[in-house]
Amino acid sequence: MTTPASDERHERHETRLGRRGFLAGTAATAAALAADMTGLNVLKEQALAAELKRQEKRVILFWLAGGASQFETFDPKPGRPTGGPFRAIPTAVPGIHISELMPKMAQRIGHTAIVRSLNTRIADHGGGAELMQLGRRDEPSIRFPDLGAVVARELGRIDSEVPDYVSFYSSTEGRGSATRQAGFLGSRYAPMFLTAGTSPEYLQPLKTMSAVDHRERADLQAALGRQFARGRELPAVSSHSQAYARVRGLMASERLFDIEQESQAMRDRYGPTLFGQQTLTARRLIDAGVPFVKVGRAWWDSHGENFETHLELVSELDHVMSTLIDDLKSRGLLEQTLIVTLSEFGRTPQINQSLGRDHFASAWSATLTGCGVQGGSVYGKTDENGQTVVDGQIGAAPLFATIYQALGIDYEKEYQVGARPIPLTDPGTEPIDTILA
Amino acid sequence: MASFEPSQFKLTKQVNRPEILLGLVLAPESGRVFCVGSDGQVTSFNLAAEKPEPTILATHESYATGVAWTGEFVVSGGYDRKLIWTRLADGKQVRSFEAHQRWIRQVVASPDRKTIASVGDDMVCRLWNAGDGKLLRELRGHEPVTPHHFPSMLYACCFSSDGKLLATADRVGCVMVWEVASGKRLKTLDASGLYTWDPNQRRHSIGGVRSVAFTPDGSRLLAGGSGKIGNIDHLDAPARIEIFDWQQGERTHEIAADAKFKGLVEKIVFSPRDGWFVAAGGGNGGFFLFGDAASGKLLYQDAAPTHVHAAAISASGDEIFAAGHNRVAVWRLGSKAAPAAPKTA
Repeated sequence: MTTPASDERHERHETRLGRRGFLAGTAATAAALAADMTGLNVLKEQALAAELKRQEKRVILFWLAGGASQFETFDPKPGRPTGGPFRAIPTAVPGIHISELMPKMAQRIGHTAIVRSLNTRIADHGGGAELMQLGRRDEPSIRFPDLGAVVARELGRIDSEVPDYVSFYSSTEGRGSATRQAGFLGSRYAPMFLTAGTSPEYLQPLKTMSAVDHRERADLQAALGRQFARGRELPAVSSHSQAYARVRGLMASERLFDIEQESQAMRDRYGPTLFGQQTLTARRLIDAGVPFVKVGRAWWDSHGENFETHLELVSELDHVMSTLIDDLKSRGLLEQTLIVTLSEFGRTPQINQSLGRDHFASAWSATLTGCGVQGGSVYGKTDENGQTVVDGQIGAAPLFATIYQALGIDYEKEYQVGARPIPLTDPGTEPIDTILA
Repeated sequence: MASFEPSQFKLTKQVNRPEILLGLVLAPESGRVFCVGSDGQVTSFNLAAEKPEPTILATHESYATGVAWTGEFVVSGGYDRKLIWTRLADGKQVRSFEAHQRWIRQVVASPDRKTIASVGDDMVCRLWNAGDGKLLRELRGHEPVTPHHFPSMLYACCFSSDGKLLATADRVGCVMVWEVASGKRLKTLDASGLYTWDPNQRRHSIGGVRSVAFTPDGSRLLAGGSGKIGNIDHLDAPARIEIFDWQQGERTHEIAADAKFKGLVEKIVFSPRDGWFVAAGGGNGGFFLFGDAASGKLLYQDAAPTHVHAAAISASGDEIFAAGHNRVAVWRLGSKAAPAAPKTA
């Protein structure tokens, strides 16, 4: 029988093995460089980028699909006609109160910055989801990369065999709005998109083929590929070789998606829900070097019975998010991992006849926790009924600039796409300095 | 003695309110109702008056959700977890204390007005001495967590007309019948048809048993809520009532409202003299369903001008009082038409 302490030592040993295994350089580096659709930019900024990548910063995005209520989470208005029935509770940071549905997060708010002043104007699911996952809307002539693709591009190691961007979205509702586009960065940075459980389907090698056979086939393919590529420095050839290398890496990373590798005690800490299990998987992935993991938790669209719905979903969020914070902290990973909570919009101050709240994009909240963030801070303010922003109003772009800045990514950088320079955020956008460490 | 016909009813008075009214109890023979709501207040209205004015009796620190009348006191409960006893003679709050560890969902008085029952999301039903507020008994057995690992909720309770039985009902459709004198659980019933868990599209739940009522003879138990909901973003299924022969543990009838009457059955009350019941509730609008428990048939269905959260029927059976989203109102029932006299030449 193992004790919790020995379990933890065992897990750390496993983790180190995992990192060594998956972050080892591969011969595919040159192929990856050639396959990058913004390759000229990569070469120009290689030194800076290498330093950024060495810092191994990571992101876990909790995508609260359908629109979580700011009133029942991070901007409560107790006692107001719009406030609903939940109380506000004090947190570990004097002066900051959040919903009573989040008692565990209240104790950990010292790691979290709350943004209470989003006015993003778009209150339909599709448009809101696009805006809040890209930081802006697509243009007719250009598709922008989503946050995960940008982070994969900027923080992923070009020679890594683990995926750069993994996205969980298990519910069927809203899956079509769960933007997952690499845009002009190219499909190299598109996510591994998982719609069921915690593990990718079809990742296991064929049962009819032994591990030796599999390795020998891969070696033969690599040898033939090298021979063919000699004297043929074409992007298509490089990309082909890289694809094989990444498939082999992904197949080898099967173990990362297997939470059975964790102790029962650790699995119990995250809880039995799929959201908890996927978040534990997300921690395993970022621990092994995956720079961006999105855990989509749907569906928060509480037009009816808003309070019962949030009693369920916020209780779950509070438990899972606080467990993740503790787990990352104990592993020394919280300072290099940014946890973001984000939806496509918030919910109305008005409570409808079904005791629901409807879509509302005029005054709502998001949070940033961990890496690069001034914990225990609040930016922006809404009025006493939560109907308008009265201080610090921002849209999506400044929030994204803040996320990039927290990760050390230059939010003003430009990608050269064909003849057109594309800035990472629109010119003039400024991050929220007061919530950055 | 006159009989009253469900189809012959009409709205006779309504008072618009800024708050959402969630509970109502009628002081018999007086026309006075006591309401509780989203402003936390316990408010009295004399609906017999030409222009009913509200009188505030007490205030909870969050939504007030349940209210009972004992003659001497009004006892109210709310999401602040507290029960408050307000003496009607002088309007004084004689006691207020935290009665549950989580939200209080409903408060009812026994028919003899000597016992108060309260249910809350700590999943306990507590019985209190209506006079001195002392705890008499705790009834435990409802699971605190749903099968899908979310907090459960204990929504509803009711006494039988002789006061010997009590029923409690929760989020996942578990209904329990208790013997009041001993606290013994007599039967557990499955009304899970009133609970919707969505395992694929949205991964959370909606519904639950929101109302229970014994038939006047105590042989049957009615449980109200909503049928299975496809899109749980909304209360988007017809209202539903399940009728049990509770001693046999058998569901004898399932009643679904017409498709246009969607939402939750929030309250079921029996006519004191005509045998039919009225089930009131709503979703994005409100409804009244009149039915016969013996046959399991709906007699009449009609829309209400608002989502009705609570209702009562007068002792004479000729008026229905209801409270809901932003209003409290009265409906008068018409008498059954007398048989037509034979025509004479």
